Amino acid sequence: MTSSVDTMCREARVIVICGTGGVGKTSIAAALGLEAARLGRRAVVITIDPALRLADAIGITASVGNEPQQVSADVSGELWVSMLDVQQTFDQLVRDTSPTPQVAAEVMNNSFYRTMSQSLSGTRDYMAAERLYSLSNDPRFDVVIVDTPPSRNALDFLESPERLARFLQHHIVRLLIAPSRGGFGIAGAAMQSVTKIISSVVGSDALSGAVSFLRAFEGMEDEFSRHALTVATTLRSDATHFVVVTAPFADALGEADHFVSELARLTIPLRLIVANRMPPTFGSTSAAQERELAATTFGDTALAHALLADMTHEAEEASAKVIEFISRTRTIFPNAATAQATEQAVDIHDMESIGTLADQLAVHLSSK
Amino acid sequence: MASHHFFTASRLLIVAGKGGVGKSAVAGALALSCARSGLSTLLVDLEASQNPLPAHERLQRLTISPGRALEDYLLAHRLGLVSRQLARTGLIELVASTAPGIDDLLVLGKIKSLERELSTDIIIVDGPPAGHALELLRAPARLMQAIGGGPIHHQATEVSAMLSDPTRCRVMLVTTPAMTPVSETVEVAFDLEESVGVSLTPVVVNKIDTSPPVLDATTLEHTLRTAYEYACARSQAQSAAISKLRTLLPLRQLHIPRFTSQGEQLIYAMADEIETQLELLS
Repeated sequence: MTSSVDTMCREARVIVICGTGGVGKTSIAAALGLEAARLGRRAVVITIDPALRLADAIGITASVGNEPQQVSADVSGELWVSMLDVQQTFDQLVRDTSPTPQVAAEVMNNSFYRTMSQSLSGTRDYMAAERLYSLSNDPRFDVVIVDTPPSRNALDFLESPERLARFLQHHIVRLLIAPSRGGFGIAGAAMQSVTKIISSVVGSDALSGAVSFLRAFEGMEDEFSRHALTVATTLRSDATHFVVVTAPFADALGEADHFVSELARLTIPLRLIVANRMPPTFGSTSAAQERELAATTFGDTALAHALLADMTHEAEEASAKVIEFISRTRTIFPNAATAQATEQAVDIHDMESIGTLADQLAVHLSSK
Repeated sequence: MASHHFFTASRLLIVAGKGGVGKSAVAGALALSCARSGLSTLLVDLEASQNPLPAHERLQRLTISPGRALEDYLLAHRLGLVSRQLARTGLIELVASTAPGIDDLLVLGKIKSLERELSTDIIIVDGPPAGHALELLRAPARLMQAIGGGPIHHQATEVSAMLSDPTRCRVMLVTTPAMTPVSETVEVAFDLEESVGVSLTPVVVNKIDTSPPVLDATTLEHTLRTAYEYACARSQAQSAAISKLRTLLPLRQLHIPRFTSQGEQLIYAMADEIETQLELLS
């Protein structure tokens, strides 16, 4: 029987991985990519975490950027990795949606555009969605796997296309970029005071930069908004599968609860729960039995039993916490599948350890 | 008293670290230690949090939410005349995108006024995750350049002066003994020193496992042996990460073991450990 992880790796077009920092989200993304590649699919893993090195996790030395790079692995499919470059993605988008190359050049040379595309956090969200969309339409790949930013608001990127389109259509923005025809009428007067306020806060140079950007942008706006809505639709389609990764720590489980409720709010079904970084178990005795054995044996054997008692105790507690999490999540998403992976002795740093992780995830768990 | 001495070196201490390293618990424990050493202490959260914090007579807590800082600023300073409806819709976003990082600057601006008000002896900030900490702390310098004059330029100049003055502000980085968090901490540390000029305290290495006893593995039966070898491999990997951090980053280290306790108990245990470690450092 095929495991639920394998079913997902065979069928999904896009896999979105949510989880707080420290649960091993990037490793899980890489492991799912590897598993899909083992099943014969051409998988690309993209990370949008600004501070994370997918290359580190996979153990490849070349620097990874926007353009996917193939990882050599012994698989029937293909495994590629890529890391979001916000600037490059935005530039490409400007080129794709501009009516003429001149408009594209005008936008890209604007100083406001350059600072905005570099450093605005909402831009990063939107570019992540954009990158996801273009990779999911790239004929080189069958499945795109993406990890989300390590923040509470990781799912913001799902709504970012609509948000940006809404911003551009906002009446203040419209008024600001309308060619000035003298300050007549209520709109004109209100606008003058708004302009004054903005320039007193950000400075008049910054404001005029923004205005000329928005004017240049106007020419491509319809195409841009249409594009944004297509991205939003892709993210909401049935072929996009959502995974929540957690680990048996109080803070990670609390954040996982938050992601689950966010998915419920957005009416997006949760397909898979991954409990990662579980303490490993050795043998089948309980912590209490091991403690008993430690008390009735001698020397190194007694010390080893005592150590194993502590380790088993930790594993028992972890398992209890995760089972509790799964059962409360299933009251919201009764069909969510589950998978587990244990904490490896040495941190994940090469393809071999990613392979071990993929093996663990793909094991079919008895359907609970 | 070593901890008193450590805390009084600057009024402001910003704690930063990658998700999952226990940054908030460390910030809470530092705040408790600080209060216990006789200093009135304010713990500032940058995200509404339910992180536990034991009650103490000299310890207070405040949340400054980045999302609201800009709106508050505009409402308080500039928007008396126009409709607030306007402010709540497009204008905030427009200003925020016209001057990226302005929100971050205003958060630091609020912290700066707390620092100047002298209402508590020490302010400890439970900062954003390491990646965002860089963005946050770089925002003032960037805005100082981007905006030629006016209130924001002024604010950016004052905040930058505070960040680069080691007698006013220090940053404490928190990591765990694993390769990825260690590499990231090293990068962030150098970046912070170079691009912001901020001064760094000793780095905290949190969640260190106690090393297993030395046993003769050959005498153990299979299961015990596998478990023992796993525990040893784990402990060695942690030591390797700690040495890597020591080699790459010339900062002293505060070592905190992995505690199994939770909630306020965890904060108490960690605060005790921090006090012991600060004694050792001095």
